[in-house]
Amino acid sequence: MTSALVIARKELLDLRRNRFLLAILGFVLVAVVISVVVSATQFGAKLDAYIAYVDALRAAGSATNPAAPQLFPLQLLRGSIEYLEILGALFAIVMGYGMIAKEKQRATLQLIYSRPIGRYSLPAGKLLALAVAWLIAVAVIFGAVTATVAIVGHAQFAFIDAQRLIIAAATAWGYLLLWSALALGLASTTKRLSTALIIALVLWLTVVLILPQIGDTMDPDNQVPGGLFKSLAIAKPDEKAVLANFAGFDTVRNGLEVSSITKHYERFTFAVLGIKDQYNQQPLAAVWTGTWNNAIALWLAAFAALGFAILTTTRTKLLRRTS
Amino acid sequence: MTAVLTMARQELVALRRERLPLVLLIVFVVMVSVSSLIGWLTNTTVSNVWQKTVQAGLTQAPNPFADVSPLYYARNTVIYLVLIGALMAIVVGVTSTMRDRKARTIDLVLSRPIRVPAYLLGKLAGIGAWLAMILAAVAVISWASISIIASGPLAAGDSLRLAGFYAVAWVLLLAFVALGMLSGIYASRETTALLVPISIWSIVAFVLPQIGTSANPVSLLNPVPSVKIPGGAFDTLNTVVSPLSVTEQFKTASGLIMANPEVTGSLAPSLFVIVLAFAVGAIALLATKRDRIRGALRD
Repeated sequence: MTSALVIARKELLDLRRNRFLLAILGFVLVAVVISVVVSATQFGAKLDAYIAYVDALRAAGSATNPAAPQLFPLQLLRGSIEYLEILGALFAIVMGYGMIAKEKQRATLQLIYSRPIGRYSLPAGKLLALAVAWLIAVAVIFGAVTATVAIVGHAQFAFIDAQRLIIAAATAWGYLLLWSALALGLASTTKRLSTALIIALVLWLTVVLILPQIGDTMDPDNQVPGGLFKSLAIAKPDEKAVLANFAGFDTVRNGLEVSSITKHYERFTFAVLGIKDQYNQQPLAAVWTGTWNNAIALWLAAFAALGFAILTTTRTKLLRRTS
Repeated sequence: MTAVLTMARQELVALRRERLPLVLLIVFVVMVSVSSLIGWLTNTTVSNVWQKTVQAGLTQAPNPFADVSPLYYARNTVIYLVLIGALMAIVVGVTSTMRDRKARTIDLVLSRPIRVPAYLLGKLAGIGAWLAMILAAVAVISWASISIIASGPLAAGDSLRLAGFYAVAWVLLLAFVALGMLSGIYASRETTALLVPISIWSIVAFVLPQIGTSANPVSLLNPVPSVKIPGGAFDTLNTVVSPLSVTEQFKTASGLIMANPEVTGSLAPSLFVIVLAFAVGAIALLATKRDRIRGALRD
């Protein structure tokens, strides 16, 4: 246990000194903050258009009072969550891979294993360091976006909003840790480091970008700008009745989407933050009832990745001679 | 000239042996090959949905895909080029210049009577030829799959449009190759060399279009360019960042070349931006100093 803590402390020190990693985390931070600013500006533009419309109605002598666009502050985080699921996962891979790659490249593994450390000390120490590093990074990112929403979006937060933000941050932490643990395990288990990087990059491309994109592309409602059913002027109940005839196609489409862990992360976080209209302003219990399967799938995958990293990061595998 | 050809030939041999580009190439070819099938499946389902709504008396609107061009089936290829193709080009570029630095063969190569621009131009030409062969093969696969779906060979006009689309894609990928090669030359670590151009790609593909159009990152995985908001701050911002959003310009150019009715605008400015991106990258690459490409790696 003590040796795991020593390794974790040393890894955290290394991470703090790694200017490149700090730069890429800074890049993610800037991207998520820009995203909130853009969303807030878009809402401001919508509000201006509404005021102009109301003024025009008044000038024309109309007594009609159209509903004003309502700001739901947490919905401004949509782009930020999407950046975390795309870029966050990529940088998490780099962090996890780097933890083993640097030891192999500097040949320090022989030195570490010359000390009396336990079977699981090395992977436990490195994973603990990753968990702490991501905890700090996620806290900084969510702190920054919350402050940006408050300042740029002129939003006020209720206690329930704070709860939602904490749940979303914890989910992001699990998602990022999953990718780091997976990359760490791959770097340990493959003979050549480049093979680990190849597998990790192809997994990222497939799981984060390709599978969700195919699922999205196959959605009939996405085939026409503004939505197929809107263009056909079909009401929601009729839409559901028509789509019931295409259950097989929708099962395949949804199956493709849920085979991506990124989609589980997205669905759960969007529901918690009320980004998906169906869950907006709903109590957390209702959100959990609708999306518990996504949360469970994400955490099961995260634990599986951690288990994979612990089981594959062994002395035998790490000290193998590369071809 | 002989030196350039020798370098190009050597690059082709090396590319055949590299594993990372090969894996990405397989993913790319598979996705482009199935994209027509996905397009056809989706279009057929939408037409069936429309038929059901008409039968149920819910709408009198015409079938949105009634007069759609057969090239519409291949529209998802655009996004696979922006995602997988661009990443593959970056990886190929990085490994190309990193290879000689890692193996320290760069000193040996430069001890021969070869100038640095000829050395780099040869590498770029070799990768260009490799990409041209891949895109030509993928174009043939697209042509054949669309012809099978449409139950007849693609018309000459549409075939030319398809060829034009892949020609533009080649220039776009070469721009990312140049970016990767530059990163492979200037980075002091292999991981940095890969991550810097991938970060630049993510800025170009996601951040810049979002600033200009307020589109969320996931919606930018759409094969058509995001729609700009007329008037106000976004319109001004879009004027500034739009020429830098090379991937969005590629979506516009592709949509116009393949006669996608959802895409509007003019072709010339988009083509100019794509060609300019490649030209800037190539000039920066060929201007590299001798000492720079001999730089040692830290890991």
